[in-house]
Amino acid sequence: MLFSSISFLFYFLPVVAALYYASPRRLKNSVLLAASLFFYGWGEPRYLAFMLLSITQGYVFGLLIEKYRGKGRSKALLTASVLFSLLLLGYCKYADFFISNFNRATGLSLPLLKIALPVGISFYTFQVLSYTVDVYRGIAPAQRNYVDLTAYIAMFPQLVAGPIVRYADIAGQLRSRTHSLSGAARGIRRFTIGLSKKVLVANQLGALVAAFKESAEPSVLFCWLYAAAYMLHIYFDFSGYSDMAIGLGYVFGFRFPENFDYPYISRSITEFWRRWHISLGTWFRDYLYIPLGGNRVGKPRWLFNIAVVWAATGLWHGAAWNFALWGLLFAALLMLEKLWLSQWLNRHRAVSRLYVLFLVMISFVIFDAESVAAAFSHISAMFGGRALPVFTVESVYYLKSYLVILVLALLGATPLPKKLAARAEKGRYTQAACHIAEPAVCLALLTVCTAYLIDGSFNPFLYFRF
Amino acid sequence: MPEKRKDMALVALTCIFLYGFLLWAVLKPVDAQSASERRPLAAPPAASWNAVFSGVYMTDFEKYALDQFPLRDKLRTVKALTALYAFRQKDNNGVYLQDGYISKLDYPLDLRSVDYAASRFRYVYEQYLAGKDMAVYLSVIPDKNYYMAAEHGAPALDYAGLADALGARLDFAQYIDLFPFLELSDYYRTDSHWRQENITDAAQHLAGQMGVTLSAGYTRHLAEAPFYGVYYGQAALPLPGEELYYLSHAALEDCRVYDYETGMNIPLYDPEQAAGRDPYAFFLAGPKSLLKIENPQATTGKELILFRDSFGSSIAPLLAEGYASITLVDIRYISPSMLGRFISFTDQDVLFLYSASVLNNSKTIK
Repeated sequence: MLFSSISFLFYFLPVVAALYYASPRRLKNSVLLAASLFFYGWGEPRYLAFMLLSITQGYVFGLLIEKYRGKGRSKALLTASVLFSLLLLGYCKYADFFISNFNRATGLSLPLLKIALPVGISFYTFQVLSYTVDVYRGIAPAQRNYVDLTAYIAMFPQLVAGPIVRYADIAGQLRSRTHSLSGAARGIRRFTIGLSKKVLVANQLGALVAAFKESAEPSVLFCWLYAAAYMLHIYFDFSGYSDMAIGLGYVFGFRFPENFDYPYISRSITEFWRRWHISLGTWFRDYLYIPLGGNRVGKPRWLFNIAVVWAATGLWHGAAWNFALWGLLFAALLMLEKLWLSQWLNRHRAVSRLYVLFLVMISFVIFDAESVAAAFSHISAMFGGRALPVFTVESVYYLKSYLVILVLALLGATPLPKKLAARAEKGRYTQAACHIAEPAVCLALLTVCTAYLIDGSFNPFLYFRF
Repeated sequence: MPEKRKDMALVALTCIFLYGFLLWAVLKPVDAQSASERRPLAAPPAASWNAVFSGVYMTDFEKYALDQFPLRDKLRTVKALTALYAFRQKDNNGVYLQDGYISKLDYPLDLRSVDYAASRFRYVYEQYLAGKDMAVYLSVIPDKNYYMAAEHGAPALDYAGLADALGARLDFAQYIDLFPFLELSDYYRTDSHWRQENITDAAQHLAGQMGVTLSAGYTRHLAEAPFYGVYYGQAALPLPGEELYYLSHAALEDCRVYDYETGMNIPLYDPEQAAGRDPYAFFLAGPKSLLKIENPQATTGKELILFRDSFGSSIAPLLAEGYASITLVDIRYISPSMLGRFISFTDQDVLFLYSASVLNNSKTIK
């Protein structure tokens, strides 16, 4: 089930919210768990078993790791749990990738398994991993209540596309959390903003991307338009989803971590990754980069660690070489910055922003390509390498048709709207107007989003495939 | 305190919005059809273990929830207005508005589609016409994009390329160029079709090229029901209905139209259809595989076999004046291989009259 669907907004959410608020405190996690299983099963009934298997092993190993804490067996149990999680993820997500590459390398033709990827498996696997590792490290106690642990991992607001919530960050909230009018209002505001980002901006830019891909008259202009549109599309799609998840968290009394912090205003790739998919970046830092030794090793090993982490980050996004290349591109850029570029970028503010925007845009062309060859073909076309016309009637038409949305998206990707709203909130004359306007604007946005959902079927979340 | 009031207002309004629509959606009767979109709406899905486990139930429920949502048409209008006027988009779902006329993007020229259409026309020629004393003609009707796209800045078909490609593939037919006899005002504002009252010059040119003279002494009548064309529903914009005019002529008064599908006679013009789901079916009852118009008052024994799409429905009554009979064949609804059972091909004139949009999207041709 998608957040931006009629069935979620007008059937699932109102019913679940009513049941949740009507239930006594001790049953709230159970209601949330039941709702989450229904939510997940609605789209993927067959894959409930995978998720429950993953959670159950995490639960059992968590208890065992705690029981044998300080003994050698505890490390073996952690290793077993991590292997179990990774094998499950590997089987579902990477089996065919490995088989096809093995076939290519050996000339054999082993049959592909053709396993459909269970929605959200990359997210819930990482949450289970973080739980067992945190229990092993003693950061969090093992959860003895199976319902509470399952409610945490399967919690529908963040189940299928993050943010990746650490158990240590939420364990206390699972036991006791407060529900307030201001929390609910904050959640509704955040959810509405996220829904609008998804439906009114990301989906429209997605339609532009689709138009480019279907175009029979490609041009250099259209290639650049596509690259810019996709870069904004993926940001609004994913950050919109995170906003909705965080907003729903507030409604149900939780505080989820922020996942995006205006990444396109970054002045280095290092800064970009501190602002983009923050929960994934910190996960890889804490559970892979630091265990590998981080930067407290010799330079060659440090560079190797960076390469491993970013190859893994790339492959986490998809089982294909273009994702690995995407990750390794960032590895190379981060190495360059850490070794040579960072001070120069600090001194050149405007250039550094353009540098980030340009390279991130190129990276997302690679990310979105069907193959590495297709990625290079796209990039080559952007620079005139395929002898395409500079522009066509079609590309100019689409530029004009999406110009307002592109400009709104560019502005919306900066803190400017937030700053203006904050200033208006504090203004002597504008404060009262804001208080009246805010509920009305939220309602208007909900209405327009509903209208877009009713009218269109172009609505998939990009991050559901990860 | 003002902050609390604001939060209360926001939560209350959101609850009213979500729970109000939930109740409305649950309680409202199920609509069978969407008049504006001219399609059946999804009904509540039947639950079964197989349907639920396979995910079919959920998929069907999503369609049902979308189709049966309260105020569906009004919300589609909100979306169209937002897209066109707030976001200044040039089209809404490919449908665009220019100078009060609505059209739908259709590009680029699909030569494979033109090839396929030509191959089916050639099949007809080789099967029934070759070697006989039959004059064969070909004409292409431009769609509205021909007149609107450039001004709108929209991409459009290569119309000259289409006519050239078709002509080259159908060298047995004489091409009659209708483009100079048509302009945008000859079409409905909210529909893809041409207006019968504005195509008399095109009909005369067509007939003249085939050796037939039409008198042009038509009387114009206004149908009672306002005309809402196919793009009206797709555009979802608050536009007024149009006038539907039709032409009569003394020579047409005794015309009989035989419908091979039902084995019954039907009227040339059917006012009941004008108020129905497809008002263009006012002309010759709309989509019909095989019709024959017989004109007892014809001063000539000439007969015409008209291979056509829906545009043919409104021009055929005008051409009927000059022929003893016109057989209308729509090979989107009848396989050409079956035509020999119903038509004896002897010495009739034959006209392939097709719109550019059908030729460019010809997979519906059998």
